[in-house]
Amino acid sequence: MRLKKPERTGVVSINMTPMIDCVFNLLIFFVLTAQFVKLEIEDVVLPISTTAEFKDYTEYKNIIINIVNPDNPQIVVFGQVRTPLELTEQLKQFRGDSSSESTNVILRADADIPYEDVARVMLSTGAAEIRGWWITAEREKTEKKS
Amino acid sequence: MRREKPKDPAKMALPMTPMIDCVFNLLIFFLLTPSFSATEGYLTTNLPTTSGPVAGKQQIKVDRIKVELMDEGEHGESVSIIFAESENLGSNFELLRQALEARRNSGIAPNMPVLISPTMRCRHKWVVKAFDQCVLARFTEIHFAVPYE
Repeated sequence: MRLKKPERTGVVSINMTPMIDCVFNLLIFFVLTAQFVKLEIEDVVLPISTTAEFKDYTEYKNIIINIVNPDNPQIVVFGQVRTPLELTEQLKQFRGDSSSESTNVILRADADIPYEDVARVMLSTGAAEIRGWWITAEREKTEKKS
Repeated sequence: MRREKPKDPAKMALPMTPMIDCVFNLLIFFLLTPSFSATEGYLTTNLPTTSGPVAGKQQIKVDRIKVELMDEGEHGESVSIIFAESENLGSNFELLRQALEARRNSGIAPNMPVLISPTMRCRHKWVVKAFDQCVLARFTEIHFAVPYE
């Protein structure tokens, strides 16, 4: 059987414009997503630790609590300054019906914050019946001894 | 059946330049993004188990090792370590680790509670450093003293 040859339609080329559109859309999406994550995190000088480990905290229900400004310490959650009382209420709402074991508080406190302010957040966390207490620290690079 | 070769294969080439531009942009973005978070880690622990209105007021009455951190200096810029309510280790955290390791080597179980009890003006970085020494000495139950409200 003789097949009919397809008609020549000129040069075969892939239209790059929609692909570039898609790639830029993806790029914008990832850039914006990174911004959303940053909303929870305040700029703090973290304490240095040799034993801090990177952990995938997305397995748990977490809330990030920042304590910023060592000269005039402030508790910041989702970009908003909270008093210890407000924090307790927020933590209770956050925990909801979840068990105290499945919920974590991730503390991001400036290295020079007095313990008094950290203890206040601890008390609020305890009052909200949240057990998990993760302290964020800058991981110190240790040279391996050979 | 004999197939006819395309006459001009050069005209089928894809314009690679914009694609490479995009791919490189994405590559740079993904290379830079994780490097910001990779420097951070977590020290994980649990707060006292007591729930309800007495949360945070639980006192550990069982055997435990107490590590007191006393702030020093006008603004608490330094620290003094009191180990097991008797030994003053100055501000030497290496000595604290050695003291904790000595306890561990004397047959104490790793789940023996270690209570870190800082003064209110003691800086957070000293508390983290004390926590580090407890972990390095292979203790697993590390608690923090919290004041009564």
